[in-house]
Amino acid sequence: MSVSISTAEHDMVPPEIVSTVFYSATVSDSLAILVAETIGATQRLTWCNEGAVQLLGYGVEDLRATALSHLFPTLGKGELKLLLRRERAARMTLPVRTASGADVEAIVIATPSPGGRMWTVRILSTANEQERALRATADAHERRFSALTERSPIPTLLSEQGMRLAHVNDAFCSLVGLRAEQLLGTGWIDTIHEDDLDGVIEQVAAALDGDEVEIQARLVRDDGTLRTTVIRFAHLFTPGVGAGFVGTIEDITDRLAFEAKLAHQANHDPLTGLPNRTLLAQYVAERFVSGTGGLACLFLDLDNFKVVNDSLGHTAGDELLVEVANRLRATVRPGDLVARFGGDEFVVVCQNVDEEAAVTLAGRVAHALAQPMRLGGVDIRPYASVGVTVQTAEHGVAEELIRDCDIAMYQAKAGGKGRVTVLDQAARAEAREKLRLVAELRDAIERREISLYYQPIFSTRDGAPVAVESLARWNHPERGAVSPATFVPLAEESGLITGLGLLVLEETCRQIAEWDHLLGPAAPPRANVNVSALQLDDNLSAQVAAALARHDLEAGRISIEITESALMKDPDSARTVLQQLRDLGVELAIDDFGTGYSSLAYLRHLPVDCLKVDRSFVAELADGHAEIASAVIALARNLNLCTVAEGVETVEQAEELTRLGATYLQGFSLAQPMTGGHTAAWFAAHSEDDA
Amino acid sequence: MTVTPFPGADTLASAPVFDIEKVLASIDTMAAQRPVAAQIVSVANSDDTSAKALARILASDVALASRVMKLANSAYFGMRGRVTSLQFAVTVVGFTTVRTMATVALTNLDDESRLPEDFWDVTTGLALAASSLAPRFGERPQDSLCLGLLAQMGAALLHHNDREGYGEIIASEPTYRGRRWAESRRYGINSLRLTSVALEQWGFPVSLTTPLKEVDDDRSMDGALLRAAFEVAARLTTEDYEQVPIASLTCGRLREDDLVPVLDQVRADAAELRRAMLGETAEADDPAENPGERTA
Repeated sequence: MSVSISTAEHDMVPPEIVSTVFYSATVSDSLAILVAETIGATQRLTWCNEGAVQLLGYGVEDLRATALSHLFPTLGKGELKLLLRRERAARMTLPVRTASGADVEAIVIATPSPGGRMWTVRILSTANEQERALRATADAHERRFSALTERSPIPTLLSEQGMRLAHVNDAFCSLVGLRAEQLLGTGWIDTIHEDDLDGVIEQVAAALDGDEVEIQARLVRDDGTLRTTVIRFAHLFTPGVGAGFVGTIEDITDRLAFEAKLAHQANHDPLTGLPNRTLLAQYVAERFVSGTGGLACLFLDLDNFKVVNDSLGHTAGDELLVEVANRLRATVRPGDLVARFGGDEFVVVCQNVDEEAAVTLAGRVAHALAQPMRLGGVDIRPYASVGVTVQTAEHGVAEELIRDCDIAMYQAKAGGKGRVTVLDQAARAEAREKLRLVAELRDAIERREISLYYQPIFSTRDGAPVAVESLARWNHPERGAVSPATFVPLAEESGLITGLGLLVLEETCRQIAEWDHLLGPAAPPRANVNVSALQLDDNLSAQVAAALARHDLEAGRISIEITESALMKDPDSARTVLQQLRDLGVELAIDDFGTGYSSLAYLRHLPVDCLKVDRSFVAELADGHAEIASAVIALARNLNLCTVAEGVETVEQAEELTRLGATYLQGFSLAQPMTGGHTAAWFAAHSEDDA
Repeated sequence: MTVTPFPGADTLASAPVFDIEKVLASIDTMAAQRPVAAQIVSVANSDDTSAKALARILASDVALASRVMKLANSAYFGMRGRVTSLQFAVTVVGFTTVRTMATVALTNLDDESRLPEDFWDVTTGLALAASSLAPRFGERPQDSLCLGLLAQMGAALLHHNDREGYGEIIASEPTYRGRRWAESRRYGINSLRLTSVALEQWGFPVSLTTPLKEVDDDRSMDGALLRAAFEVAARLTTEDYEQVPIASLTCGRLREDDLVPVLDQVRADAAELRRAMLGETAEADDPAENPGERTA
């Protein structure tokens, strides 16, 4: 499309175009155009179009009779010339007076003709309906927004320029305790903690740049107190104005305090307020540098705390612990850590001390603790045994330091309570050896390196083998055979007994099934399995039932042996467990009977089948002392229980026990413990002999 | 330029003797000498202006750009030196302020040799007072700052075109209101009105020009903020000033107590705003220091 535009250079605009434009201007009702002319000293209107007539409400003739200044009542004397400039167009926003006397807000643009005596005046009303509606909508938005922020409980900031606030809501004012006028502009900057201000400004800069960001910052209240907050900044852009931000503030002071309280609780003993074991470990680990010295630990254990607890009650016990904690705190040097290790055990950690200083401190602590205190109306002296360890090059990790002073404390206890003992190297080696053995035992159980031996048990009636007892053996690859008297208590101390017990139970059942398979009716009729006191819980019967089921065995093929002392630890619960086993159908025997101070009345109510006469009473037979063995056997017979005499070493003993009425015999002289394979062969051979 | 000497008290009420149109025409001449500033004045008005576009234009006027940077980093905006790019400076100070600074450059308000005495002391006082008080009147502080910075442009023009006559007006009229009456009598228009005409000419928004027109109508809320700002400026800069109760100037919107923090704020920020508006040193303000702009 080509457009031809006439320019002054070529010629005047063709008259037909001028008349076309003039006609459209004349009849336009959307455009108000007037022509003014200087006549004498005043400017008068000489022409107007239809739009002007409609806007102003004058008739054409009336307008012609009107001075231009009459239309612009706000223009002062002489100011009309500011609008009617001779050399350039001028533009003003001002009210225009209509025929009715009402003023209409309008933009007025006056363009001079080349001669400078006539002006075309265009009047654009700014008060049209659409604009009013738009303004009303904008105002409504504004009101809604301010209502929202004003009443919002979330502290809110609004900046229209840089860090300068144009608006804060009541929630922010009450958060910092200041009035809005104190905060507007840059006033709010003073509420930001000086150390956090740089970070806040940085985030504001990012928000002004268009990002959404947040920062944790402390606000200083009017009363000087601090609130920790998270301030979130969002970008805000106003067309034609520039960038600002909306900031919302979350006061996290209480939440942080709560978290800190939780963290404190996790690391401190609620009774004494002292750091607990977790914090102690952390504290020592943070300060421990391997291969150096300077750290020392004191491990304290109150002597006879149990006596206080049992005799004066737990409240008194707690009171004692609190007093001990206070005395410890007051006695140690500034900077030393006092922690409650657990129960009546406390640990003091010191830095930059040698052994002499550590022992001196331990002595001072022991002395301070030993001062009398009144508890429940009684004067008591809380003596403590104190173990001392100073870090040496041998300490590889922080835990070893605490472990060593624990060992030293046991040495102090063993040495007769109320003592201070520095760790003895031999004791330390022994303790470490024990630790190593525990680790190896754990591995042995896991790898099923504990093997079972079976020792036949004979009937005194006909001398026939009626059962075997399963005996665990640990053949250590380096140490050789480790005695059950060593590793069973070790397993009990170190929590390995359940695993060991299950291994024995499972392997015994498997072995019986294998014997059945190999020997048929000649297989051992029953196997006795030893159970530790620590296994006597509600799980036991289920474990036994499961093992039996796994190998498809009758319950009667198993007899569970429990030591008398194990039963007496918690007789009521032991009885419940025994009943469960009995209900299952397994036989029950009390092992080492006569060594555990059983109440005979109690024994009567236990659901057991058999008593095993302890080997010590059997051994006494050789010395001519048959009294106890005889009494136990008689007792069993009277209670309708059978008896197994253990540790039968000689033929004479066997004969004597048979004479005394023992039901079964077990011992080296009769048959030694054998592997499962040898046991099978032994029973096979025995069966052939019998045949 | 036709300037009739100050005719004397007896003829003050007579017709104006000053060709105001020539004064207005002189603004156009000034604009031609500072094309970058003139371009900013016209571009910054648009709703679709971006900080990027403004910064690009601004970069061609080193003196003006450095003033914008200085202002963006001044205590007034609280950014503590964090503003390192021109575009970000434009974002921080806002388009209206950039435009105002360009207008100041355009009309030689940064050349103190052409200005009435105390011009910038009064102007910074007016600007900061207007900005501080703006929220009380529902106005944007930023727009009010610009209003204060530009309000006295008319006075500068009158002074420049009639130094002697305008000097006498200042000498004989200690109050701003009295001065405006005298200006109307002598020039047919007062200095604020003249400012508003010029700003309208450049398309500044009505919200900026209306207060200039209505400042002397004590019943008009539109002029109240500027009246209050003039009162604050007068209290801070005029010796032995006889205070006008602030409530009567602001239709009861402000009480004397409200002015206390404002006076402190203005005192605290005035020097820095003045430095930012005028450049670091008086020498740096000399247009001769900006040859690129001169020859553009």
